[in-house]
Amino acid sequence: MKHEHGAESHEKAYKYGMVIDLDKCTGCGACMVACMVENNVSYKKDESNKLDSITWLRVFQLTNGKPYPDTEVCYLPRPCMQCEGEHGHSPCVSVCPATATDYDHETGVVSQIYTRCFGCRYCMAACPYHARYFNWRDPVWPENTKAGLSPDVSPRMRGIVEKCSFCFHRLQRVRQQAYAEGQRDILEMEYQTACTQACPAGAITFGDLNNSEHKVHTLKQSKDAFRLLERLGTNPKVYYISTRQWVREAGDNYLDCDIKP
Amino acid sequence: MSLGRRAFLQFSLGAGAGLTLSPLPWKLLDDSSIWSQTFRGLPIEVPVPPAGEVTIKKTVCALCPGGCGISVRKVKERAVKIEGTEGHPINDGGICPMGAAGLYQIYGGARVTKPLKRTGERGDGNWSEVSWADAISDISTQLNKTRKEGLSHTVACLSGSDQGTVPQLLKRLLSAYGSPNFFSMPSLRDTEGLALRFMHGKKGVLGYDLENADYVLSFGSGLIEGWGSPVSVFRAHSALRDKAREGKAKLIQLESRLSNTAAKADKWIPIEPGTEAAVALGLAHVIVKEMLYNKQFIDNNVFGFEDWVDLNGKTHRAFKRMVLEDWPVDKVSAITAVPAAQIFELARGFAKSSAPLAVAGRGKGMTPSGLNEFMAIYSLNALVGNVNKKGGVCVVPEIPLKEWPDIARDGLALAGLEHQRIDGADTKQAPVAQSLFNMVPDLINQINQEKMSDVMSALFIYNANPCYTLHNTQQVASAFNKIPLIISFASHKDETAKYADYILPNHTNLERYDDIYMPPGLGFPVIGLSQPVITPQYDTRHTGDVIIELAKAMGGTIAESFKFANYETLLKERLAEKWDTLVAEGFWKDDSFKLEGDRGFDTPTERFELFVIGLQRGGFISKDDNDYLPYYKSFPMSGEKDEYPLILIQTDSMRLANGTIATPPLMTKTVSDSVLKKNDIVVEINPQTAATYGLLDGDKALLKTPTGKTNVRVSYYNGLKPGVIAMPTGLGHTAYDDYICGKGTNSNDIIGTVTDPVVGFDIAWGCRAEIKRIIA
Amino acid sequence: MSAHHDEKPHCCQTASSGKCSMVFLAISFLIGFLFFLGVGWIVFPKLLYSKKIQPIDFDHKLHTAEAGGCESCHSLREDGTFTGIPGLDNCLQCHEEQIGNNPEEQKLVEDYVKQNKEIPWLVYSRQPDCVFFSHAAHTKMGKIECKECHGDKGESEKTVPYEENRITGYSRDIDGRIVPGLKLAANDRMKMTDCGDCHKKHGENNACFVCHK
Repeated sequence: MKHEHGAESHEKAYKYGMVIDLDKCTGCGACMVACMVENNVSYKKDESNKLDSITWLRVFQLTNGKPYPDTEVCYLPRPCMQCEGEHGHSPCVSVCPATATDYDHETGVVSQIYTRCFGCRYCMAACPYHARYFNWRDPVWPENTKAGLSPDVSPRMRGIVEKCSFCFHRLQRVRQQAYAEGQRDILEMEYQTACTQACPAGAITFGDLNNSEHKVHTLKQSKDAFRLLERLGTNPKVYYISTRQWVREAGDNYLDCDIKP
Repeated sequence: MSLGRRAFLQFSLGAGAGLTLSPLPWKLLDDSSIWSQTFRGLPIEVPVPPAGEVTIKKTVCALCPGGCGISVRKVKERAVKIEGTEGHPINDGGICPMGAAGLYQIYGGARVTKPLKRTGERGDGNWSEVSWADAISDISTQLNKTRKEGLSHTVACLSGSDQGTVPQLLKRLLSAYGSPNFFSMPSLRDTEGLALRFMHGKKGVLGYDLENADYVLSFGSGLIEGWGSPVSVFRAHSALRDKAREGKAKLIQLESRLSNTAAKADKWIPIEPGTEAAVALGLAHVIVKEMLYNKQFIDNNVFGFEDWVDLNGKTHRAFKRMVLEDWPVDKVSAITAVPAAQIFELARGFAKSSAPLAVAGRGKGMTPSGLNEFMAIYSLNALVGNVNKKGGVCVVPEIPLKEWPDIARDGLALAGLEHQRIDGADTKQAPVAQSLFNMVPDLINQINQEKMSDVMSALFIYNANPCYTLHNTQQVASAFNKIPLIISFASHKDETAKYADYILPNHTNLERYDDIYMPPGLGFPVIGLSQPVITPQYDTRHTGDVIIELAKAMGGTIAESFKFANYETLLKERLAEKWDTLVAEGFWKDDSFKLEGDRGFDTPTERFELFVIGLQRGGFISKDDNDYLPYYKSFPMSGEKDEYPLILIQTDSMRLANGTIATPPLMTKTVSDSVLKKNDIVVEINPQTAATYGLLDGDKALLKTPTGKTNVRVSYYNGLKPGVIAMPTGLGHTAYDDYICGKGTNSNDIIGTVTDPVVGFDIAWGCRAEIKRIIA
Repeated sequence: MSAHHDEKPHCCQTASSGKCSMVFLAISFLIGFLFFLGVGWIVFPKLLYSKKIQPIDFDHKLHTAEAGGCESCHSLREDGTFTGIPGLDNCLQCHEEQIGNNPEEQKLVEDYVKQNKEIPWLVYSRQPDCVFFSHAAHTKMGKIECKECHGDKGESEKTVPYEENRITGYSRDIDGRIVPGLKLAANDRMKMTDCGDCHKKHGENNACFVCHK
């Protein structure tokens, strides 16, 4: 029953998504840190090689490329876009040979199961957002800091791929509480991702894109809203808002001859 | 083929078939793949965090003065996450990267786990463990000896701030002991305090109602870099953004670099570094000349706008004539590199808005501003009458607490207190400042080692890391090397603790009580109570308790002045009726306080003083009337322009902590590789300037200033004024653990101090510099 | 015949010895086959699991009779999480002092209660870290009885030894009591396929993140 409607669309199911207001995002990095603490992301002594630095959520700095003094800068946080593609055919899910990553039609979240992944990194090649990270090394926590690890998210091992999960364990957590209270519905504010909760500027909004009562539903319809690389047909569930045209244009690759939005 | 061999082959075949039909190979395959999920038993075993009952403990973050409410998620006894407390008046659920990474303070390396006593040379880091009882008895014996020699005034204390019960206990200890030498670390709050004292005649905290302002002029203030109470400023900025989208508000940033704040602002106006006050005076010129100021407020509430005549009949040029005569737009434009038309536009836009707000203090506000330059910017708020109003500035009064009992002092104490302070604060040399620790390193360096005991025989350090945070760290370190006895209360082995003779480790912020008063820049009075959410992980003790024990061990009138059972009971007594609310909520807010309202001014003229008579009354005598006025004087930078053709500025960022607390590794991880590449600090340079010096993006270079030199990498940044080099703050630690130490250079190493002639603060925001490519 | 014998003595000899050797070889095969079949079926499981004895031989039957159903000790917390095996404080509600003369109870009081030490119970149904399992979902929403997965533990009078897989570190109760993975009763095994089958049967979501973290 659930699968029937799930396979076709999200109409009756949840479709969790995010709207990030780039006018408000200050690039402070609190979302990145909150994400890493929440999800037991490890750290090395030197993290300046950004190619092997694992940050499920990464804040990128965009610039309009103009010389002084017309330079402008904008910060863009990039979690996993939880692409729906067409009927759940996310770029990464389509290529995974191990079914280690999957699209959940009931929530719209692209899952990544670390113990199932064998590290072929095909998904990383397929992801146009560089949202997936490979564990080139064993995760090492300085001895005492292991005490700060959360039991809600399973730590990863060497040789596997990991990525943002929209803090899915938080949904598991609230669902569990709802079950204990004998109900099934999850309220908007009950399930919020760690980055959304942490953002000191209130730039991130999270909720059910299908539910017209959720803030994201309204925000994604803003005239200034856009998604990244929309033309690829990845159908991402993360929307951005910027009043600056160059930022909106930077959300996709445009050639000079293209008609820009 | 022999029979035996064939039989063996058959046997093996049978064995193979037998095994294949048994569970053994399949089970082994399955199990070994399950084993490889965690590599159980190997050194690389993946940790399995134990689950358990979850509790949430509410407290207040004590990592900066911002006073944010935090909720710590605990699984059994372990703290696993720090989150902002929803509904807290300062941060309402938000948190900064530092707060979010705060668990490293407890669980991370470099903790001082036991009281330590230095065994090797200063700075070598050789320590032996000592019991609390021995440490306290050693130190109290030494201090009693010094006191008996009549040298009690040579014992000094440096605290991160003078707010809170622990700093007050330290102050009290010195006072009972007989020393006037209590220091607090310099910051923008010192300048703000003086501006309030002289312009408003009030004590308290300078509050900005950013949220309700509609035209915010920020003079280089890092509103998005950690200025004020960071999360509260971020929230206010978001409110501004909402209004700006409807064209109802504007934020304009004036500074030489496209900082995060400038990037978020509706307009970035690049200026010559350090000329913020000149722009402000130019704006004042236009506002006065075009009669755009709030006449009613100026006439009724302001002194020093019009010229005035003193008792001797001498006419003093005041604000109005000063800005008209000295700061014509063309001149300001030449100094600041802001086009004249833009100055007019800004002045008109500012004055015609309903809630214009001028914000002062560079970057995070780690360094004080000069008093006159601060007043130049601050006076714009008075010109438009946006004082004690919604969307304006106000003085947030201190929250009255229970009085301390009297201090008992014997003859030795009284004699000690008669001595002048080491830094000259509160004396003729620097009559208005309360504390000038920036003066101390240079003073010590000029004294012979043998004479040290007569000047500074001992120094207590609480919640401060001057060997890292003060300018010209080399000078600070060599001074610290000379102080005979240094006692540090550091929880972590920081740069300053390296020089200590004793480290008496304090609990970290999540293990202790701490009272946090009046976060900077907030528009309402609030107290925060930081509470222990986990049991102390090591053999540490609350500094408050150690001070009390130390006083009791010294005996006599000192012990008499410290008849407190312990720190916790003392704190409870001090906070009295507020305690229960504080424990439950983590904060106590004075809801009776209203931003708007006529609170009057307690200056000598009972008006808002643009010509600060109070400065003169305070003991600062100058023949130059401009010293009493909001004014701009070009910054006296050492070094010749020919030798050092560039200007080096320090840039603050939310992702790098540059204060007493070091940047935890998860925060460093968020830092771009155009800030830190491997262990090299990366400085920004305009591509145009880089071309002049033959520098390519990513090149290694030698950065030299009159104070020092360091190897850097360069990164092209179009958002930086040509001729300027921007160097990040918060890197280059030489202490702590492997995850913090040795990353880049501390920009304070190569920037010298610059003393404000009126107050005596170190107001350096940069220096001259040259850069040369290193050919590898 | 004899001529044949004489003519082809070698051949005959070969034939008869060939038969013998065929039999011999078949026996070799059989010995190898049976021996290693035995090793795989009987010896291997014994070697694979180490047996550990619970710190206290707990009598569930007695306790359910005295204290009530499973929920009286294994309960859900307010946030919906499951307490699992109760901590010492739970035991303390009755056993602050010894109330009977059972040697196991004496062990509890002497070794744990008086020393305020948690009992290091071995958890038969401990799942790998990557598994998220909500008791609330199954008992409250699914209305599944405890014994459907855990067996009739409430009726047991003795604790069975905890058999730990020497390779994976997980209990034999997860792997399945019968080594090849045969499942005779619902509570025989607790592997992913078992969860999945049940979810499928009841039309529940089988997406990865439902049960993984």
